[in-house]
Amino acid sequence: MKYLGLEYITVIAGFLLLIVGLWGIISQKNIIKMIISFSIIDTSIHLLLVAIGFIRNRTAPIIDSSVDKLKAADQITDPLPQALVLTAIVIGIGITGLMLTYALKLYRQNKSLEINQYKSLKW
Amino acid sequence: MVNPIYIIAILLGSAFLIGLFQKKEKGLAGILSVLALAFAVFVSVSWFIHFTSGQQEVLQIFTGGARPPFAINLQMGLEESLFTMVINVLGLLGFIYLYRDFREEGIKGSVIFLVLMMAMNVLIMTRDIFNIFVFLEVASIATAGLLYLKKDFRSSAAGFKYLIAVGVISSFLLIGIGFFYLHSGTLNIDTYLQSNPTAVKGISMAIFLILIAIILELKPFPANGWALDVYQAAHPGISAMISSGTATASIYLLYKLLPLSSNDWTPYLIAIGLITFVGSNILGIAQKNGNRLLGYSSIGQIGFMLTILGLAPRLGEHFHFIFLSIFISHFLAKAGLFWISGIVQKQNIKEWSVLRKNSLLLFMFGFFILTLIGFPPFPSFYGKWQLIMELAQQRFFILIVAILAGSFFEGLYLFRWFGKVMKGEEEKENSLVIKWEKILPPVLFTIFAVIASYFLNNASEYGHSLNLIPIYFIILLFLLDFLPAWIKNSLVITAMVIYSVRLYPLIADDSLRLIFAGIFMLGGILTLFAGYSIKGKRAGFFPFAVMMYAGLMGLIEAENLFQFFFSWELMTLGSYILILRGKKSLIHAFNYMLFSLGGAYLIFIGIALSYFGHHSMDLNILSSSTMPGWSYSLLAIGFLTKTAALGLHIWLPGAHAEAESDVSPMVSGILLKGGVFGLILLFLLMGAEQSEQHTLLYVLGWLGALTALVGNLLAVFQEDAKRLLAYSSVGNLGYILFALAFMTNVGWLTALTYSINHFLFKTLLFLAIGGVVMRVKTHKMYEMGGLIKQMPWSFIAVLIGIITLAGIPPLAGYAGKWLFYNAVITKGWYFQGALVFFSGTIAFLYCFKLIYSIFLGQPKDKFRKVKEVPIWYIIPQAVLIIGIMIFSARPDLILKPLGNMLAQSNYFPTDPLSWENVTASTNLGYWSGYKIMLVIGVMFVILLLWLMLMSRKAQKIKQFNIVYAGERPFKPETTHFSHNMFSHYYKALGFLSLPLATGFWNGVNSVTHQVADSTRRIYTGNGQTYIIHILIYILIVYMLMF
Repeated sequence: MKYLGLEYITVIAGFLLLIVGLWGIISQKNIIKMIISFSIIDTSIHLLLVAIGFIRNRTAPIIDSSVDKLKAADQITDPLPQALVLTAIVIGIGITGLMLTYALKLYRQNKSLEINQYKSLKW
Repeated sequence: MVNPIYIIAILLGSAFLIGLFQKKEKGLAGILSVLALAFAVFVSVSWFIHFTSGQQEVLQIFTGGARPPFAINLQMGLEESLFTMVINVLGLLGFIYLYRDFREEGIKGSVIFLVLMMAMNVLIMTRDIFNIFVFLEVASIATAGLLYLKKDFRSSAAGFKYLIAVGVISSFLLIGIGFFYLHSGTLNIDTYLQSNPTAVKGISMAIFLILIAIILELKPFPANGWALDVYQAAHPGISAMISSGTATASIYLLYKLLPLSSNDWTPYLIAIGLITFVGSNILGIAQKNGNRLLGYSSIGQIGFMLTILGLAPRLGEHFHFIFLSIFISHFLAKAGLFWISGIVQKQNIKEWSVLRKNSLLLFMFGFFILTLIGFPPFPSFYGKWQLIMELAQQRFFILIVAILAGSFFEGLYLFRWFGKVMKGEEEKENSLVIKWEKILPPVLFTIFAVIASYFLNNASEYGHSLNLIPIYFIILLFLLDFLPAWIKNSLVITAMVIYSVRLYPLIADDSLRLIFAGIFMLGGILTLFAGYSIKGKRAGFFPFAVMMYAGLMGLIEAENLFQFFFSWELMTLGSYILILRGKKSLIHAFNYMLFSLGGAYLIFIGIALSYFGHHSMDLNILSSSTMPGWSYSLLAIGFLTKTAALGLHIWLPGAHAEAESDVSPMVSGILLKGGVFGLILLFLLMGAEQSEQHTLLYVLGWLGALTALVGNLLAVFQEDAKRLLAYSSVGNLGYILFALAFMTNVGWLTALTYSINHFLFKTLLFLAIGGVVMRVKTHKMYEMGGLIKQMPWSFIAVLIGIITLAGIPPLAGYAGKWLFYNAVITKGWYFQGALVFFSGTIAFLYCFKLIYSIFLGQPKDKFRKVKEVPIWYIIPQAVLIIGIMIFSARPDLILKPLGNMLAQSNYFPTDPLSWENVTASTNLGYWSGYKIMLVIGVMFVILLLWLMLMSRKAQKIKQFNIVYAGERPFKPETTHFSHNMFSHYYKALGFLSLPLATGFWNGVNSVTHQVADSTRRIYTGNGQTYIIHILIYILIVYMLMF
């Protein structure tokens, strides 16, 4: 192995982004920035999942002209993680959308997007 | 059978279909939703019936045209059918409950609700890990969506915090799932388990992430601030869904996923669960907001279930029973309470007293609270009992203590709440709007809880040994509560007579039990007679009176420790509510309950310790405890909370004094003997041979003596007549404890004579004084005075009572005294004996004060027209006086068989009394109640005649006739010296009556509250703090585990 494989780069990037996202979510007071941090976490996990399914020297799991149908299992990367990523993206979008809706509602009600303005419920 | 996949299809299909509706078609949307949810209930119920009627084979449902691991499969077995059933029933009722609120929002609510229900069903049935992630997210989105519908901005803030927290948690779940797939090559639980997985570092890490994420979904303390905010802010109907629904699905999920891990999660789950259970319940103490309090309780209960889940391998075959019992109680009670909260619509628990406007709601509230606490015969009692006993067998004593401590804290805040609802300040505004769809779900859940109790009782190991007739009678009384009091009173008295007649032949040979059964039953019937004087319905009195008596009788009849403890708790519960009925009883009843609850848990631990190493629950195992020091001490302290020994007595004066006039004699003359009976049973079984027992008895002897001294002394300084009698009870129970601790034949005869006497005279005195108090409407003795003319009968009754109390010949109190001297001299406990003797002298002081201040001296203006007490008070008094006379003249009728029994059955064979007709003699002397009675009677008649002869020229004068007085009194008060009557004694001995015990317990109380209040500040309300809690939590568990 002369060079760093793509999957390793992806995994490292994934974990780095995860840490960035977690840091963002606990350090940024602005609700929109928190939501963005959440999206970063989401993305990092997608990267990780993709890296998991990656097998070197294989092609995308799409059966077309570049893949021999009979030997497909030996020529394509693992399709399952990719399916998972697609699902995770959809769910992530859903959650992010709902978060943004909440942000909008909070802003409309209180004219503030600072998370520490919303502490009336405690203890 | 309908394939369960249709649950998902129908719920999801209806949700999509309703999504297409116009806003004005919301009525149709509602109907469609109800139909869809009812369909889900139908399917899961039919599968549950299918599996419970003997079918074993689990149904596998394949989707996507392929078998796992290539496609997702669902599973429907007994467990799945049970959990989908409860969740779907909850969903249907929860939707009906929220129906009107959803209508206002149009169709959105229905759509989201159906999606939430679908997600929970899938979570329970699916066998695919990624599917779990997806539907957890769907459930979260749906929950957040439901929160979004509420317009209040606090709800929005809580919803956002919830989303962020759940988002972070599920990120870890997803990472875990990804790496799980990387290492195992499958996402299917069954495929993975069948592949005989080996533990490699990577996969255990992945499984760790999956499991910790599910655990975090279950809101472990302290990483649960986000959940508390949601409970507080959400519409109670939605909180009910989260607390009972989502939590159920999540805990089943954890149960399903636990086998994946090759790590032993047992200790971690136990620790996480217990920390949550105890921590959450302690923090609950400082909480005033009803919904948030329910949240704390909810989280605590889930923690408890986590512990049980962790203990599963150790509990073996009992696991399912224990888990179900705790689970179903939490499930039903928490949903019920949240639903009631939605009807009440009050924040502060103080304002919940508005519930008193509706007796059905009040009943259900009490019912659910008691279900949560686990009093018998509520469902969780059975599981808790079984759990504690199993833990004891396996020597997990620390766990027992922790579980009971958590339960105690929970009981503390729940009973405080209960008390405030029952007796707290009246709510002015009449704001209880009750709609049918809001009341139906809790009513059904109450019925379900009753059914669950029935089945759990049948399924429990010792449940079949219980006598459930009294319980059915109590239920009947609840149903008949609309009848007038006199009918119910007659019904209860008849029932008690029948019960006594039935019971008599069973215990006729056992004088000891016979005496106590006599006290409980005869006393019960007599005191109930006084209740005839009360007009109206007297709602809610009779079921609890019967509960108390049923508990007391259960103690007598108990053949095993399960029955004993069951009855003990029943008695406690009944008496608590009776005491709570008094006008100013709120705080006193609460104190009573706290001491009783603490005492009951000590008894519980004591029983568990005694059970260790045995294979039966028979009472006799107490005689061969393997940990005699601990188990006997704990049992003794537990019983002493009921007999109000010094230090544990502070609840008694208020509880007895502030109770209703006819309840005071019940809880004083009769109930206290329940504790005495417990002590007797314990002492009989444990014996006095070993050194541990010896030490314990010696300490208890001293405790009894000091209790007698302090109790009597405190009685002397009371101005409140009923408090005086109450403190006098403390003193008297001190005598009984002291004499019991002798463990000699004569000592026990003394104690039993004291018990009988105390029953007779204290019931008599409380009835007489209670009657007077009822007439003059004050407890203060110095405000009374000169009542002898208005209430001659009460005067005679009190006179007879105090003669017996003070132990003056010829009445039965003297018998006790004579026996006492014999016993003390034989035993050789001279110093303690002298103390008790001295306290007996002190008793003269308060006896005098009682009769002088109330009946003698100058009558007050405002009481010139009061009437004698009602005939219904006089009848039981007359019977008691006859009882005292018979016992005084012929003590041999009771004491002889009793002494024989003690001597013959090898309990205390040495130095018995020897009887010759009615004369008893010991080595020290002899005594005959009959002769004394005759001698005193003759003396009395002679003196009376002499007095009448001497005073035949006496002239009757009016009160203010100054011819015969030194000066003219301005008002009656100035001629009547009864306020602060014994102040000179106070100067000498007052230091002994300082409220040290009260101060100590107040200190304990305030420290606990301080701890609770400062700890709960970790929930800062900031969403980011909550995320940090979650991250730290994961880190700590990880570091402990790897």
